[in-house]
Amino acid sequence: MTRVHDLGGSSDAGPIDRSQHDIEDWERLADAVTIVLDKKGVKTTDEHRRAIESLAPELYEKLGYYERWIAATELLLVEKGILTPKEIDAKATELEEI
Amino acid sequence: MAARFGPGDPVLVRAAEKPGHVRTPEYVKGKTGRVEEVLGVFEDPEILAYGGSGPPEEPLYKVSFRQIDLWEGYAGSANDALYVDIYEHWLEPAREEAR
Repeated sequence: MTRVHDLGGSSDAGPIDRSQHDIEDWERLADAVTIVLDKKGVKTTDEHRRAIESLAPELYEKLGYYERWIAATELLLVEKGILTPKEIDAKATELEEI
Repeated sequence: MAARFGPGDPVLVRAAEKPGHVRTPEYVKGKTGRVEEVLGVFEDPEILAYGGSGPPEEPLYKVSFRQIDLWEGYAGSANDALYVDIYEHWLEPAREEAR
């Protein structure tokens, strides 16, 4: 069965959205954090791709490109025991309050 | 690891359903193409994706497919080609007349 990310050639995928937008700061940050974690040997591109593909199909469809990157990074950091979901949620709450 | 196939060899992409991370797109599975180039020998990303070290290394090929073999009712030229990088464990020998 074709998985959610493997859309090539499927006729019901709909047209490609070619609209562009200016890159936002959080997207640059998402890119930078991912690259740094790769360079430091914390995770690999292959693990990153696997983590993105493992997102629930509904979530995968809903999230944008860098939102998927962030979700994958979070998943891998938890998987590797570097952060806990609780720590991530606490930090997110703290940032929302600023 | 010595490459099993060489440039010009017809190859059939396995139609296998392998769970997890794979680097072979669904639309070429079960299709016959031709080896254009042996790109080198690399660790298997399907193992690296789970934190393994990836060995044994295996050959990666640039495989060409005729667009008319991939898409039903393809309206373009019969010479139009599509290239996909495919690891050796996804390929098996195909008969010349299969394409």
